[in-house]
Amino acid sequence: MHQFEIQQVLELPPVAGFDLSITNSALWMIIAAASVTLFFAAASAKAAVVPGRLQSVGEMLYELIHNLTDSIIGHEGKRYFPFVFTLFAFILAMNLLGMVPYFFTSTSQLAVTATLGVLVIAVVIAVGFARNGLGFFKLFVPSGVPFFVLPLVVVIEIISFLVRPVTLALRLFGNMVGGHVVLKVFGGFVVSLGALGALGIVGALVTLTGTVAITALEFMVAFLQAFVFAVLACVYLNDVVNLHSH
Amino acid sequence: MAQTSPELEPGGALVETPPTTPSHDLHESTEAAEHGSSGLPQFEFGYWPGQIFWLLIVFVILYVILSKLFLPRVGGAIEARAAKIEGDLADARSARDEAERQSAEAAAELAQARARAQKTAAEAKAAAKAEADSRNAAEEAKLNVRLAEADAAIAAGRDRAMANVRTVAAETAEAIVEKLSGQAPSRAEVDAAIARNAA
Repeated sequence: MHQFEIQQVLELPPVAGFDLSITNSALWMIIAAASVTLFFAAASAKAAVVPGRLQSVGEMLYELIHNLTDSIIGHEGKRYFPFVFTLFAFILAMNLLGMVPYFFTSTSQLAVTATLGVLVIAVVIAVGFARNGLGFFKLFVPSGVPFFVLPLVVVIEIISFLVRPVTLALRLFGNMVGGHVVLKVFGGFVVSLGALGALGIVGALVTLTGTVAITALEFMVAFLQAFVFAVLACVYLNDVVNLHSH
Repeated sequence: MAQTSPELEPGGALVETPPTTPSHDLHESTEAAEHGSSGLPQFEFGYWPGQIFWLLIVFVILYVILSKLFLPRVGGAIEARAAKIEGDLADARSARDEAERQSAEAAAELAQARARAQKTAAEAKAAAKAEADSRNAAEEAKLNVRLAEADAAIAAGRDRAMANVRTVAAETAEAIVEKLSGQAPSRAEVDAAIARNAA
């Protein structure tokens, strides 16, 4: 699992006992964020009425997430659009950079995905309290439930709410690690089968085809997982933004 | 796959307690990372605070950059395009309406002009006809007068001729009667006889 190993890039003195040195994981986060920044700097440089290719792609991503916040959260959605878009663009950049050989995949680190998951839930809770005050707790009390099962339902609702960051974190983490491990295993097969002679080379070619196919699949997964993360962030935000209609 | 080599490293004592904060000795900490969990380096919690810290920093910076700078720009371009298309459509629509209005106006003017021309033509025709009629009538009247005069002249001539004829007849009858009977008849008798024969 060499490709997932954390290495220090720039050692920094510890702060309050924590090692905040820049590791390869942090470095690739910075590279991902810089890529997003550079991409949108280029895509929005002209802001032409008739867009070029780069601007078209930028606007496609913009409208993808804009439609998402609009359709899931509704009219209030545009307030949360920048947050959801940053999540999406950042995760997408980290996922796609990870597809380049020898590049590091920050989203294959549980620390990263867990932080993102907790960040989403923290924002959801903050928005929930800011908008509804203590009415936020109505989120755990669905209406129209008979009172004798209500305690049970409330417990279930609370647990399902608390599980959200865990599922957010594990879904992204699992997909990225899984994809890279599968690619590594298939790549290893190609090499070891290829060393077995004529028949092995046939097997290696089959495996190589599979590896290419899985690589294509992984590009889709890289996009899809970023999108899923954004969709779920919208769904969770919608829960607290439109609490009254819950 | 994994290039872990715990056997080669002498620092086996570290294996027992996975460090919560990595030592600042790079060698020790990577070694600890390799030993800290059963396989996946992701569960080396010593590196978590750094990743979490930098993730939050980078995320916040990216959020600020995107939300303050680039997203308004991209959204502005999209809105500007929508507004431009809307405006162009409205312009085209108003231009079309204007063209239709002008064409209707032109058609109305044309119809008006045609009506006026037809009216003028009809009037001219009527005037010409009236003039011709009146001139015809005048000529006819003049002709009638002359006709009547001619008729009268002819009648007068004939009367005169007839009167002359009668006189000639009477004189001739007188002469004949005188020659035959030797005695001249009275003029009254002759006239009576002529009237009797002429009737």
